[in-house]
Amino acid sequence: MATQARVEQRPAAKGTILVVMVGLGIAFLFFMAFLNVVKSGDLLSEANLLYAALIFYGGAASFYLGFGITGTPAHIRFASLATWAGLLANTGAVAHRWYEAGHPPFASIYEMLLSFVWTLAVLTLIAEKKYRVKVIGTVTMPVAIVGVVLMQLLRTDVRPLVPALQSTWLHVHVTLAMLAYAACALSFALAMMFLIQDKMKTETFLAATSLFTAAIYASLLTRFEKWGGLSVVAWSAEERSEVFISKGMRLFVVIPDLGWLMCVVLAAVAAPLVLYCLWRKTHNDGYLLLAHRMVFVSILLQALALIFFVLRTRDGHYYSLDADGQFATSLAASPFILSGLVGGIFVSLLYLLLLWRRSDLEHMLPSADDLDRITYKTIAIAFPLLTLMIAAGAYWANRTWGSYWSWDPKETWAAITWLVYAGYLHMRITRGWRGRRAAYFAILGFAVVMFTFFGVTYLLPGMHSYA
Amino acid sequence: MAASLPRKIWQTLGGIKTGVILLILTVILSAAGTVILQRPTTDADEIQRAYSPQMLRLLDAVGLTDVFHAWWFVLLLSLVSLSVVTASVQRFPNAWRFFARPYKSPEEAFRKALPTHKLMRIKDKEAALRVAERVLHKTGFRTERIVRENSFSLFAERNRISEMAVYVVHASLLLIFLGGIIDAEFGWRAFLSLNRGEQASQVQLPNGGKHQLAFAIRCDSAGQENYSDGTPKRWWSNLAVLQDGQELLHKQIVVNDPLVYRGVRFYQASYGLTGKLDRLVLTAVARNGSHIRDVAIGPGEIASLDSDTTVRLADFIPDYVVEDGRVYARSNELVNPAAHLVVESKKSSQAINVWLPPIPGLEQNAYSPYTFEGKNIQMAYFTGLEVSHEPGQWAVWAGVVLMGFGLAVVFYLVHSRIWVVPVRDARGQLQLWIGGAANKNKDAFEQCFDDVAKAIECEIKTLESGVEVPAALLSAN
Repeated sequence: MATQARVEQRPAAKGTILVVMVGLGIAFLFFMAFLNVVKSGDLLSEANLLYAALIFYGGAASFYLGFGITGTPAHIRFASLATWAGLLANTGAVAHRWYEAGHPPFASIYEMLLSFVWTLAVLTLIAEKKYRVKVIGTVTMPVAIVGVVLMQLLRTDVRPLVPALQSTWLHVHVTLAMLAYAACALSFALAMMFLIQDKMKTETFLAATSLFTAAIYASLLTRFEKWGGLSVVAWSAEERSEVFISKGMRLFVVIPDLGWLMCVVLAAVAAPLVLYCLWRKTHNDGYLLLAHRMVFVSILLQALALIFFVLRTRDGHYYSLDADGQFATSLAASPFILSGLVGGIFVSLLYLLLLWRRSDLEHMLPSADDLDRITYKTIAIAFPLLTLMIAAGAYWANRTWGSYWSWDPKETWAAITWLVYAGYLHMRITRGWRGRRAAYFAILGFAVVMFTFFGVTYLLPGMHSYA
Repeated sequence: MAASLPRKIWQTLGGIKTGVILLILTVILSAAGTVILQRPTTDADEIQRAYSPQMLRLLDAVGLTDVFHAWWFVLLLSLVSLSVVTASVQRFPNAWRFFARPYKSPEEAFRKALPTHKLMRIKDKEAALRVAERVLHKTGFRTERIVRENSFSLFAERNRISEMAVYVVHASLLLIFLGGIIDAEFGWRAFLSLNRGEQASQVQLPNGGKHQLAFAIRCDSAGQENYSDGTPKRWWSNLAVLQDGQELLHKQIVVNDPLVYRGVRFYQASYGLTGKLDRLVLTAVARNGSHIRDVAIGPGEIASLDSDTTVRLADFIPDYVVEDGRVYARSNELVNPAAHLVVESKKSSQAINVWLPPIPGLEQNAYSPYTFEGKNIQMAYFTGLEVSHEPGQWAVWAGVVLMGFGLAVVFYLVHSRIWVVPVRDARGQLQLWIGGAANKNKDAFEQCFDDVAKAIECEIKTLESGVEVPAALLSAN
């Protein structure tokens, strides 16, 4: 309540301009979309519903961001409203999918993203209404947008379920996984908010941002090929699927010169980290100033890398090292490179927001103690869900593969996630870890969750190949 | 010094630091096991291709190509279990004392130190305690009057079991480990491939050996259903369990729904063509036109066409090719089939080779008293069954259920205690001291405590101001 009061005392200046602008933007997009729909004549299709959700989530993100910057209470009302509208459209898309496929939307990575975005929107509204963490939409809504955009690229056709997936346990397992992962995502966002509220120095955030983006580009550069190319998965337009050489082996093609560009960007995003280290050593503030400038430069370069990647990957034809001839590429075949690039830009922008609007943000958040407690509570919800998710998966595997545990990479990483959160709980309960250390632990836990969700599917071989 | 060494080990094992180090080691090594290609799940060639020979030798030597079965990984997991056990044993007595003999009548020192408490003026001890009892009872607390030599007070609590739940969780983890150990020691996995009508009592182990079952399993029929786009929708097999020639059990299994008999489970794993013929249906027409009939024969079977003539299916090739005057099979797929029939006559005891289609140099089709035409080819399918025996799985499931229960209690049930003690302050004024403590979720408890204290205060006030009943009368009631 105290936070709300503080926010409302602030003058509501310039608030209406943003409201009008975003409102007009949404109306314009809907008008354009409507013209298209009139032409095709199919109003309530899944694609249209998703597009509506995208527009609303976009509006919500702008309002949340606007609230983050100006603190105008009206913005948060409109942001909630837009989130509700987006959620409504998203629910429609989920229902449409469910009806069309005849099973809950959990069977492919597309359907799982659909459910994930839905859960995220619901949790955002809960966090906002129940726990009064108002700016959380600033983090979660862009994530939802990236999710919806990714969905546009992935194959959307309803595929029949292979025999192993025809089980009630699929739904139990995946529902629990989505709930657990969304709770972990929330605990991560809360831990970040805690670090802001805990007066953690912006320099530390600078180093973390730099480290994170550098990690993204370093992992992209594992695809660095001879002559400075970057290898991406080939895509067959007719079959709308990745090209495979043999079972489980994707065919990679090399896009020339893109690798060099990524190297340059890696240098640019890593530079602030190096400068930060120099500053720690010499205490010369000149380094820090330079580091902040480098963040700007790196954002420009990252945007450039994104543009080049999109232009060259979309509908290009390139040579492969593994097979003769040219193969087509598509953005749809590299969703994770794309989201990595977008994520890097997004994190750098968030850092800038923090740099400029630190004190405003601090006013709008609950107290550090409260955030710490809520983080713990979300993990207290996530951990039993994780446990049940693993148990349901094991029971299902026992019915399908004849073994409840086979050390499949996905299983192993789920167990690792479980162990990391178990570590968090033990340190917190028996060692009394509170505050910053606990927040770091929560962030680490979410990083492991993300790796389990995406990384294992795309980087490691295994039986969870359909998801 | 010598005597203290085991004690030191005991202390170290139970420490949280040891536990965390072991956890981190487990995490790192398991992660390594997902990144490095593992022998049991990867083809030997693929591993050979992925690593250089020296590297592979090194990985094999330290067991990194089979992390989850390496002795050091097993040792690590045992150490984790040992650490859980010691930590639990070390902390248990304290917790048990706390659980079994709750602290019911607070001393003055305790009362002073407790952060959550409230004092209110009262006129009568007995009436105040009675009010407190009623309010606490309504809020869901179990209350108890504590009578000591020179004092009496009230103790109320809720969800004491919450103090023990963490041991339940630890025990459940050990139970799961136990199940895993039993299965690693006594369990096995195998594969069994059956054709229709075939039976077997031996299954193929992954290491190439065989495992003898105490009974036989027979596949009566098996099949596949497809979606309209041709991808498989369902595989099924009708299995029968036989012992001493008697059929004991019959079940249709599908993927996700195995047959279980005496702890051995049969799973539908795959389904496909064996490349062998099941039945060939032929239309046989006698040369003199007197006779037309359909015959169905399997490989090697003989069917009679009339009282004198029989036909035998000598060979069936699903995908044939002729080279140097001989017939070879090119593949197991039904692409280009050929059948070799032998038509025999009892009277003349002559055998004529009939080939469908006629293969020059081999066929004697023109001499056969019957002409044949292929009508239907039914290929034999095999059903692939995974077989497993996991005697420890019940411990695992029991552990899982116990863990779910334990975690729910650990996280969502709060052990809260409230003490109500009538005291006298420095000036001898009678007061009611109310104090409370909770083992977690303290902010929510404080809210609850405030509500309870307020309700008690309110009721006491109305009681004492509203109706002027002499204190003696009230207590006499």
